[in-house]
Amino acid sequence: MASEPLLVVRGALRRFAQRTTLSSVDLTAYKGELLVLLGPNGAGKSTLLHALAGRVRLDAGSIRIGGIPPDDPAVRRRIGYVPQSIALWGHLPVRTNLEILGRLAGLDARAVRPAVAEALAWSGLADRESEAVASLSGGMQRRINIAAGTLHRPDLLLLDEPTVGLDPVARQSVHRVLRGLRDRGMGLILTTHDLVEAEALADRVAIMAAGVVRATDSIPILVGRLFGSDQEVLLMLAAEPAPDLRDFLRASLFSPTNQERLWVGRLRGGLEELPGLRAALIHAGADIDELRVRQPGLHGVFVELTGQVPGA
Amino acid sequence: MTLSMLRAALLLLFRDRGALMMVLVVPIVFFLIFAEIFATAAGDQMQLHVAIVDEVRSDDSRQLLEALTAEPAIRPVPGSLTAEFDRESARDLVRRGTADVGLIVRADGETLATAAGLAAPPLLLLVDPSRSVIATVLAGQLERAYFSALPDLAIGRVADLIGTEFTGFTDAQRAEIDAGLLDLRAAAASGKSGGWSFDELLERENVAGQNAALNNVAYYAGAVAFMFLLFAAAQGALGILDDQEAGILDRIATGPGGIYVVINGRFLFLTLQGFTQASVIFGIAWLVYGVDVPGNFWPWLMISAASAVLAAGVGLLLVTGCQTRAQAQLLPTVVILIMSAIGGSMVPRFFMPQWLQQLGWITPNTWVLEAYSGVFWRSEPAQQLLPVCLGLLGVGIAALGLAHWFGKRLVQD
Repeated sequence: MASEPLLVVRGALRRFAQRTTLSSVDLTAYKGELLVLLGPNGAGKSTLLHALAGRVRLDAGSIRIGGIPPDDPAVRRRIGYVPQSIALWGHLPVRTNLEILGRLAGLDARAVRPAVAEALAWSGLADRESEAVASLSGGMQRRINIAAGTLHRPDLLLLDEPTVGLDPVARQSVHRVLRGLRDRGMGLILTTHDLVEAEALADRVAIMAAGVVRATDSIPILVGRLFGSDQEVLLMLAAEPAPDLRDFLRASLFSPTNQERLWVGRLRGGLEELPGLRAALIHAGADIDELRVRQPGLHGVFVELTGQVPGA
Repeated sequence: MTLSMLRAALLLLFRDRGALMMVLVVPIVFFLIFAEIFATAAGDQMQLHVAIVDEVRSDDSRQLLEALTAEPAIRPVPGSLTAEFDRESARDLVRRGTADVGLIVRADGETLATAAGLAAPPLLLLVDPSRSVIATVLAGQLERAYFSALPDLAIGRVADLIGTEFTGFTDAQRAEIDAGLLDLRAAAASGKSGGWSFDELLERENVAGQNAALNNVAYYAGAVAFMFLLFAAAQGALGILDDQEAGILDRIATGPGGIYVVINGRFLFLTLQGFTQASVIFGIAWLVYGVDVPGNFWPWLMISAASAVLAAGVGLLLVTGCQTRAQAQLLPTVVILIMSAIGGSMVPRFFMPQWLQQLGWITPNTWVLEAYSGVFWRSEPAQQLLPVCLGLLGVGIAALGLAHWFGKRLVQD
């Protein structure tokens, strides 16, 4: 990872309709790095991405890309943006789409042809260049969607949920494309709800909740920082806990989630502690549906930092 | 169950302000506009702007014109009846459409009291053939004024007629009168000139265009072309919202050109589309009806290009100014329909009451139609149309500027 940051966000604050959508956000990203913005719905991921793209003005704080604000025309040539939707003209051929979007990204007429040829080659769609975008499969459309954002060779590529709605095979093909771009030195920031995708792609993750970046680092470091040698415990109750039981769970290092009956906690000292924990829970009045121990990972980090269970 | 569906449909209608507007408000506005136009055009509220020149300045002519101008329907245009206002000035006003019709009491004609001959009738009507119906209305008003203001002349002419056609009123003469009346009736029945007609006092001179039919075709070519330029521009501008929904706008706006590239590109497209539309419509008017487009090519080109710029700017402004896609699909249609009705794209402006004609000047339709009329009716040279064309261009560019301003909202959260 390069020592010179490509992107620096400091104290970013954004209010919308008396609601704070970004609050004191600090973030740094580097060239050749794939940074995943992870968080539940309404966490502020898209707002942050739009702010990086110069589409949202901050109420306070600053964003610098290569030392320049993102709404500066000079920096716009250094950014590529891939919207969540297939932002292409569906009835036009692939090549025509790329040529037009290449010119709109600032390439001159001579530069656009080789850029399109290169994008078609690495996205694996050179043999489909004359077909209408709408006639391609979802995975191919996604790859072209990404290719269109990279024609001008941006330093920083912003992607808003680039694999949403894709089947696992198509998703893999997009992941290959994204890794390829990173390996060529491009900095990538993408948003997703999908923890599996984040684990597969991220060099680092920034976990957001309620407009705040709760933590930013690589997944192993985050896991180590939050769990140390502890195990992750998932407790599914048969019914919503009574107030007394809630107090007991909190005192036992369990945290509530966005599912009323599901609590997450940690087990210190290894699996031999589990029977004792189970007995204590039953003694406190817990009607246990499921008690599961697992090696902590991004899921545990996410639940720990956001209080929400992904996909719930 | 059927009533439940009725209830659902009613509730949905009342919750959809756009649909409600189309169902209730727009028809009422249209009804009021057209009722006002046609009530005026068909009734006695019609007001004629008449360029009047009295070259004779006799007692007879003064009395006739005083009686005429006392009619509520007659409005002399400013400058009429002054010493400086001559026949050529009147021709010019009619040609330019400032006056609906011109009336000259001719110095080179016979007098109003002339009994016979009328080789050169004393009254000359300057007529724009496209508004010939107005000349007919003026002739009627003039006849009424003549008989009320100059009854002695009218009766004198009848007496002269009696003197000409008949002799004294003795018994023998009575018989001759009867015979003469029979002759008169027979002559009238055979289509030969019989008796005296007020029309003999009038001569008509066409001062504008080639003929009424061609002028009407040219008028409606401009009227239809500009109305559909506006519709097509608004429809084409909706493509920006399609691009917004597809995320294309976000992608492009993030690039170096920003949202301005999107709006400017669409503006050029709509301008080109509008100019092509105008070319096709006037091409057909030329090829099928013989409207002299080649003979007025440069003025036509100037107006059509300026109109296309104006329509593109207005179309973009109407669409980007809307908060939602539903609004953008409805509001421009309503605005364009109303502008077209008021501005003369549906009914010629001279049919409208004065206040509506004045109101029309706030619409681009009126400016464009007047400019086209300047070319095809009044054969105005290009340099005379330049200020209007620059005005149209200016409004189009200003509308584009506002569309830029509104367009920023489309890509900012």
